Amino acid sequence: MFEVREDEPMYALLKAVETDQKNIYGNDIDLVKNSGQPKGVSLRINGDEGVGDNPDRYKQHGFHFTADNCIGCHACEAACSEKNDLPPHLSFRSVGYVEGGTYPDFTRMNISMACNHCDDPVCLKGCPTAAYTKHPEYGAVLQDPDICFGCGYCTWVCPYNAPQLDPVEGHVQKCNMCVDRLEVGLKPACVAACVGNALDFGVIETTPENREQKKTSIPGFPDPKITNPNIRFQQTKSMPREFTRTDSAPVKYHKKDSNGEYKPVVDKNKIKDRQWNLTKLSSRENPLVIFTLTTQAAIGAFFITFLGSFFGGERIQTLTASNVYVPFLFSLIGLQAFVLFLSTQHLGKPMRFYRGFNNLRHSPLSREALGVAMFLNCLIVVAVLSSMDHGFINLIEAGTIFNIVSGIVPWLEPSMIESSILGITTKTFAFLTVISGLIGLYYMYSIYRIKARPFWDHWQVMTSFFGTMFSLGGILIGIVCIPLALMAGNDMTGLVNSLISILSGFIAFGLLLEAIGHVFHARDLNKNGGEGSASYHLLTSQYGNTYITRNIVLGLTIVAATATASIQLPEAWQGLILWAFLAGIVLVTSLVSRALFYVMVIPTTMPGAFFWKNKGFEEHARETGLANLPQVGVLPCSH
Amino acid sequence: MLFGRKHKNPIKIADKKVQQWKYTTCGYCSTGCSMEIGLNPEGKPVATRGVAGADVNRGKLCVKGIFEHELFESSGRGTEPLYREKHFEDYKEVSWDSALDKMADEITRIQSKHGRDSFAIVSTGQIMTEEFYTLGKLVRGVLGTNNYDGNTTLCMASAVSGYKRSFGSDGPPGCYDDFDHTECLMAFGSNLPEQHPIIYWRLKEALEKRKFPVIVVDPRVTMFAQFADIHLPITPGTDLVLLNSLAHVIFDEGLADQNYIDSYTNGFEEFSKLVEEYDPVSAAKICGIDEDTIRHVARLYANAGAAMSIWTMGINQSTHGSDGVCGINNLNLITGNIGKPGSSSLSITGQCNAMGTREWSSCSGLPGYRALENQQHRDEIAEFWNVDESFFPAKRGMSMTDIFPAIETGQIKGLWLVATNPMTSMANSARIRKTLEKLEFLVVQDSYLDVETTQYANMFLPGAVWAEKEGCFTNTERRVNITKKVCEPHANSKPDHWIFSNLAKRFEQGKKMTFPETTAEIFEEMRELSKGEGRILDISGMTHEKLEEQKGIQWPFREGDEKGAQRLYTDGKFQFPDGKAKLLAMPYIENNEKPDEEFPFWLNSGRVVEHFHTRTKTGKIGNMNKFSPTPYMEINPDAAEELGLENSKYVRLVSRRGDAVVMAQLTHRVPKNMVFIPFHFHECVNRLTLGLLDPYSRQPAFKQNSVRIEHIDQDLAARLNVEMRTF
Repeated sequence: MFEVREDEPMYALLKAVETDQKNIYGNDIDLVKNSGQPKGVSLRINGDEGVGDNPDRYKQHGFHFTADNCIGCHACEAACSEKNDLPPHLSFRSVGYVEGGTYPDFTRMNISMACNHCDDPVCLKGCPTAAYTKHPEYGAVLQDPDICFGCGYCTWVCPYNAPQLDPVEGHVQKCNMCVDRLEVGLKPACVAACVGNALDFGVIETTPENREQKKTSIPGFPDPKITNPNIRFQQTKSMPREFTRTDSAPVKYHKKDSNGEYKPVVDKNKIKDRQWNLTKLSSRENPLVIFTLTTQAAIGAFFITFLGSFFGGERIQTLTASNVYVPFLFSLIGLQAFVLFLSTQHLGKPMRFYRGFNNLRHSPLSREALGVAMFLNCLIVVAVLSSMDHGFINLIEAGTIFNIVSGIVPWLEPSMIESSILGITTKTFAFLTVISGLIGLYYMYSIYRIKARPFWDHWQVMTSFFGTMFSLGGILIGIVCIPLALMAGNDMTGLVNSLISILSGFIAFGLLLEAIGHVFHARDLNKNGGEGSASYHLLTSQYGNTYITRNIVLGLTIVAATATASIQLPEAWQGLILWAFLAGIVLVTSLVSRALFYVMVIPTTMPGAFFWKNKGFEEHARETGLANLPQVGVLPCSH
Repeated sequence: MLFGRKHKNPIKIADKKVQQWKYTTCGYCSTGCSMEIGLNPEGKPVATRGVAGADVNRGKLCVKGIFEHELFESSGRGTEPLYREKHFEDYKEVSWDSALDKMADEITRIQSKHGRDSFAIVSTGQIMTEEFYTLGKLVRGVLGTNNYDGNTTLCMASAVSGYKRSFGSDGPPGCYDDFDHTECLMAFGSNLPEQHPIIYWRLKEALEKRKFPVIVVDPRVTMFAQFADIHLPITPGTDLVLLNSLAHVIFDEGLADQNYIDSYTNGFEEFSKLVEEYDPVSAAKICGIDEDTIRHVARLYANAGAAMSIWTMGINQSTHGSDGVCGINNLNLITGNIGKPGSSSLSITGQCNAMGTREWSSCSGLPGYRALENQQHRDEIAEFWNVDESFFPAKRGMSMTDIFPAIETGQIKGLWLVATNPMTSMANSARIRKTLEKLEFLVVQDSYLDVETTQYANMFLPGAVWAEKEGCFTNTERRVNITKKVCEPHANSKPDHWIFSNLAKRFEQGKKMTFPETTAEIFEEMRELSKGEGRILDISGMTHEKLEEQKGIQWPFREGDEKGAQRLYTDGKFQFPDGKAKLLAMPYIENNEKPDEEFPFWLNSGRVVEHFHTRTKTGKIGNMNKFSPTPYMEINPDAAEELGLENSKYVRLVSRRGDAVVMAQLTHRVPKNMVFIPFHFHECVNRLTLGLLDPYSRQPAFKQNSVRIEHIDQDLAARLNVEMRTF
């Protein structure tokens, strides 16, 4: 057990006080009855079988922060990092600030924030590896780095920036509520270290001695409805009408006259002119840009051919019946397998990729992973079965492919391959491929419906992802099939006439879908205010030129694709070149669009300080080489 | 509710496997926090915790203390003695013997050629009291140069000088316990939450128990100013005007404690006559605080049952620093607020052992608050040390800020710097650079080889840092506390007292004297010297063991005493021959470099909580340095708007001395005509500062200078910034 000194000061000791039954969100403060778990079980901290004698062991605990008192001295952060032995680039607790007023009527309000061990832990829900547990002991939400594979999804969903992704170790770590100290009746290290008498800790809904408030929010703190966080505040001193942030986020906080609460609004002062910033589009999420686009394209490509073969699209049926179909399917498999591999490289610990399915009950990430994996597997079956059917045998010698297949599945006899059974099985699996692909895509969309990331939390993600499915799906079919068909000696004119127009139709439809989403997204972002509006402001300022160009090009490609779908040029090669040109532009636009999607997001996280937790300074340190000095606390760029 | 896993893994929490805790006193600021360093089974320092039973900090530590165990192995430590003929050559490693031989030879050569005073020594507030005493013994008893001072001239000299002028002796008369008794606290140019977080916490604790008014005088809206009941955003450098005006109101409205004045002070008439000129109407025009507020504050302070004042560099670092201190003392004397619980003139000191150097280093005279000018003191020390009394200089020599100009003029040829970094810390860096180039022989003795001044050194002596040795510090409230040895000195570095003693042995005179081996033995000498009738600096009841046992003891602590004395002058008896304090009449003289058309901004400087002094320690510990890894300036957003400056972009500041590149932080903490820059960074604020000297303390005015702001190419600025931050 944690060592308790004989003369441990009073301020470090947890006090037994009367506690409420229910918290402000209406949940029981006593956790053990709802958890279905027994009392008196050891937390086995570092293998220690001891059980703490804290009388409030099964009650939800939380921090109490007197914002009027915080002096921003970093003692809480330091005590936390000292106890948890953290390197400079990580911190479980951080102090940022907001400020307002005019000299000398000026107020800086510091905010010290760690994990709020929420009633509704979105990190726990989101984590695909099920690395999170909310313990009935103290209500602590703990994360196990030994389970985590470092996808960082919890860092996206948490509104308070509590989980810390360590790019060096390749996993996430976070505040552990100092449960080792709680077990022996001591308050967490940060609380014991607080020099401003701002931070306190105890059973939730108990007001500390000498304090008189337990509010659920202060300016700069995200909407508590997102997670029902277990932190309470006191803030009684008068505050300026408007608070600004010193970090680079174009967000400030404005007091609403109706209830005196502060709402995040756009701070247009930070970036005023319209810029390109094309190089900044490349981010840590690059593998995800490729993965999402390609997966959507692959699912789309298969979906289009499937639709065609089922619903009598004659021109598509020509394709699926042709000798190009099987190599096309194998191309999709290769592509999908490659980007899946690429997406695992995005993980901190790629070798743990298989843990991605651990949390199918709650995590959209697990479900997406399963959907895409199923899509790939079904697709493989379809491809293998199809290769035994007519198409491919014409292309390569029948024996070769059969030998390959029977090499893998030795019990397969030529007689077993009855073409009718084969046909039905293939179609069934094709159906399963489409279903799992669509399910994967749906969950890929729901991954981004994160309340703490208002820029993403919009149905536009759906139109974008499904739009891309059609637009890039169509392009993928063309890119793979047209060269194959030409190589196989097919007639170009027939091909162009049969395929290109229908593909262009799908492309136009997909782009249109995406464009509609963008229009409504922009409208809603502007309307709803907050971090979403701030993202939109970045979009129109820091990336303004890029954004406008993207929009113009998107409009033009919709027109061009519609035209290509409906008009036949006099010569087939002209049509082909036009289409190739269109495809190229759509590809680049999609790439830029998706990259913007990732870099534009401004989370609802806490305000940073001038250097620490300031995204702008981190970027600057990486660009200039300051980050190469380890004592600067910013890791050099890794992507 | 969601609970997640049913089958739970054991919880892993970092375990540093501390096997043993060793008692120390924090080596950063003068608060004097007791702390323990945890050693793992390999004997490596891995953890730090505050000592719960220590009265000063009661278990708390600030950000610097919390990571103090990391400084033993931080980068840039010196490993071997180094030597080179010329400062532009490469260093060569030499043995300690040959280094000290060479050093003794060079000192002898310079002194015999140019006179004893041509070799100067500037020490520090960083090393142990026993080491200061040993250095003083070496300098006063063996080397005999009178140009010997500590870098405390840059931070505390005005407080020392003010205390001496008002009370007849140095020594802060109050203590932290006064917060628990005072009914009004006034802070001048002190940003406690940032500079002395633990003292601030003691104040906060007192305020939680019992609310009393807090008045903060500061041109910046610091956190302390923000939390104050009354904030007086004063015009830089005009504190004396405010203080004289407060006295004016107190006399005018009959609020003074005339009984106390008559019984315990001299100089009332002259003083009351002078302050007549400082009526609030006239004063308001100079100090920028309106007349009503001046009256209001004067009444509040004078009517409080017990009132106290604290101050830091906002007073000390100005051209009237010493006068400012005397002005605060005046205020407390006329209201009878000295030597009673909750009544004090408490200077909040800077370095961990600034007090130790004031008490025992002999910088300003002879050890134990003795003066060169006092025959009895000369005789006592000469006999105790076995030195010819006439060997001592007749009076105190040059202070640090006069030593450098004397190098410039060629009076001083050799310099020995002990744990101080004037290349970063002194005003007008360009001038210091040129000055150092002129030296025939410069020795830098420091724990860090990368201390910027080594660029000009001929010899580098690696010193053991802080808890690599045993010894004492004295804190702001006169509390002597001990640091035990936690680990062996890094590589081949040596404790500073070892270096002093072993250099002494290389001189004939040194061989005649005794230089004890251990700091405990040295402490015995100091104990012996502290005895005497009427002496306030009496530590005769202390031993190293007792200091650890009581977790620090305040002096005077005489043999047989149970507890240290919390306050001085409780009997109204001061250290002047007639036992009375002095009320000093001090007219305000306007001599600051004020903003003008060419240089329209005040340049103010100060400290941030995560850094200590010139960052040689804190700049390498990532968990602190990350909070401000590069220099910046605070500038008012309205001024920035006019100049077209943006937040987080670089600017170039230009003064009459030079230029500096900083990042702009837009904040209403500062007025529209002022910028504020943390002073910790090399090649930064002190490239700009003028540093006019206080006539009494010779302390530079770091905080009253003027600058203009220029745009700079962002890429160039970023490159310069990276270059200057590389350790």
